[in-house]
Amino acid sequence: MSANLKPNPFLASSTTSPGMKLVFRGTAREYFPIWIVNLCLSLATFGIYSAWAKVRKKRYFYSHTTLDGTPFQYLGQPLPILKGRIIAAILLGIYWITSQFFVSVLPWVLLVGFLLLPWVVVRAAAFNARYSAYRNLTFDFDGNYWGAVKAFYLWALIMIPTLGLGFSWWQQRIKRFMVEHYSFGGERGTFSATGGQFFKIYFLAGVLMIVAGLIATGIMFSMPAFSLRYAWIGAIPIYAAYVLAYALTRARLGNLVWNNTTLGPLRFHSTLKARTLAALYFGNALAIIFSAGLLTPWAVIRTMKYRADNMEVLFEGELDDFIGGGRTAVQATGAEVGEFFDFDISL
Amino acid sequence: MNMATAATKTTMANSNMQVLYFDGQKPVGQPATLIWSERTAKLIGQQADQQYVFNQLRVSPRVGSADRFIALPDGGQLQCPDQTLLNKLPQESKTEDLVAWLERRWDIAIGCVAAMAACLISGYFYGLPAAAEYVALRVPLSYEVRIGEQGLKILDDQAWFQASQLPPEMRQRISDDFKNLVADLPIRKDLHLEFRHASPFIGANAFALPGGTIVITDQMVELTNSPGEVSAILAHEVGHVEMRHTLRHILQDSAAALIAATLTADAASMTLVVTGLPTLLLQASYSRQFESDADEFAFKLLKKHGYTPALFANIMERLENEKHAKSEKKGLEQEGLESDPLSFLSSHPVTRERVARARAAAIGTELSTQGNDAWDWGEDKNSDKDEVEVEGEDTGTIGILK
Repeated sequence: MSANLKPNPFLASSTTSPGMKLVFRGTAREYFPIWIVNLCLSLATFGIYSAWAKVRKKRYFYSHTTLDGTPFQYLGQPLPILKGRIIAAILLGIYWITSQFFVSVLPWVLLVGFLLLPWVVVRAAAFNARYSAYRNLTFDFDGNYWGAVKAFYLWALIMIPTLGLGFSWWQQRIKRFMVEHYSFGGERGTFSATGGQFFKIYFLAGVLMIVAGLIATGIMFSMPAFSLRYAWIGAIPIYAAYVLAYALTRARLGNLVWNNTTLGPLRFHSTLKARTLAALYFGNALAIIFSAGLLTPWAVIRTMKYRADNMEVLFEGELDDFIGGGRTAVQATGAEVGEFFDFDISL
Repeated sequence: MNMATAATKTTMANSNMQVLYFDGQKPVGQPATLIWSERTAKLIGQQADQQYVFNQLRVSPRVGSADRFIALPDGGQLQCPDQTLLNKLPQESKTEDLVAWLERRWDIAIGCVAAMAACLISGYFYGLPAAAEYVALRVPLSYEVRIGEQGLKILDDQAWFQASQLPPEMRQRISDDFKNLVADLPIRKDLHLEFRHASPFIGANAFALPGGTIVITDQMVELTNSPGEVSAILAHEVGHVEMRHTLRHILQDSAAALIAATLTADAASMTLVVTGLPTLLLQASYSRQFESDADEFAFKLLKKHGYTPALFANIMERLENEKHAKSEKKGLEQEGLESDPLSFLSSHPVTRERVARARAAAIGTELSTQGNDAWDWGEDKNSDKDEVEVEGEDTGTIGILK
């Protein structure tokens, strides 16, 4: 009768299943009205409704992503999100006023922001985890402020003696911090990717950007009448390389992180391809520009679908490992501040 | 209506629903059957045999075509396909139900697109400028003084500016004319004129700094034929101060950037378009509006004090010619390309338009009015005045300095 009643590997208590595909069932046709209605209401209420809009959109993506027939659930509530957004707006306002009118105080404001940042990161991760559920069990994130300070700031210092080459090891520490503090049903994530593996990916991306920079310089100097007017020609290889390097790091890092993460008896198999991702991003950009933004939902859906299609969850071991815990309320403030200032804290 | 209710009741009373039961302890789904009766639902499965009253249940909001969940009072939950029957049960969220209904209607979606387009276009052309003006006119000019001071200090310290090399009597004349020009403006106390010799990159230029300080460069003064032309430039700058263009710029740009960022947030994560680009385009057109507003203000102020706006037209044309001459010298000018292909991005409306408007405003005024006496440049200056070398990289910009 329905998809959810097919044979279920989770039913048997101890098996090694070949793997469950993550399935994204959202469609642009279905998502478009959801997107536009929520955007419109947010605009009409001067952004107040955006907290509700966020819940609706999250719910759409979660509930249309199924693993083994069961969708994920987003449990976040609009009111705490609204409260968080108001605080975020106030912080942004303080920053804006200082940067425009009281520039002398700006370093202090930035310092406070700097000290606040790790807190925002852990709170945002905790909020998102605890209000995400699968099969009636919630995720959790228990990283604390000092852990985040160590991963995000202290490990950044490794770049000084290594003249920047330590960047990969720093990034590896950040990912490790995030993964190892995630848990599902009492099972904590483990992370085994090394800094060396990160380095290979960033090195390739760096080479790509440098080559593009050289080509751009070559074009600029080989032009008959050098002029600022033609500067944009040099920007083309740079932009292309930027898209490629971005897609490369997204795909390869995504694969690296997921393939080296375990969650109790669960392992993951991610097969993103840099070239496909770059083409996807490029197509999205063209579609969005030439449709004045109206194809945004289409772009979002096909990107989500590509990501889901390339993710497989492998299951080995005992389901008894997972235990449901009591749900604890987390304030949305951190999550919303993070979102407002546009941090990417996803895995 | 009655029939429909009756029909629903019958369906509910007689129907069984296949569900997956999750107890909240293990991530294991157990197939179970939910048997509906008048006010209760009976759950029958391998490990469950429980009866619930309807108002103990909470159904998750409908989202697209996704499966829905029924929360049970003991912490368990049931997963089942979306069906109308579920709407008869107590809902987890009433507001989301209404939104879910809106989200399913294409006529509403199309209406939303139209409403958004209308809202954004009118907001951009009227709403935002009006709001920024409303706010800006209520913020005392003195709040901006410090920004202006800091800006000027940076320009002085970084050697963009040096002390003016104009003859003192010339500066005196310009200052006096300026005082007379603004004598009956309410903001005269905040207005303050500064002379600077500019580095080649700035060249012939004039700026209105936040807070009311107006800077005119030596090169700009040297390009003028008469004190009247200097007054014409200064009148334009006074217009920027009087109409609070700096603050309005800051407010409008920030608000536009915020709205653009909000609207493109979804797009930004799925593409690699620089979302700042549309914002830049928007800002450029605001600048053009400010320049023409300041021109209009200047024409009125000039006429009121017996000057002709033709003075403004003259100096603008000379600036433009100077720019062209220099471009030609560098071999930038090519056939058919009269100006920069990006000139629509320029913050200054095409000079020809501005000159034409100044000439139109000058109709009825006499050229032999105020300030039309030629400069007395002293020794050798006078002789080669027609070939004054303006070193400016970008002459032809008189405007506000942000």
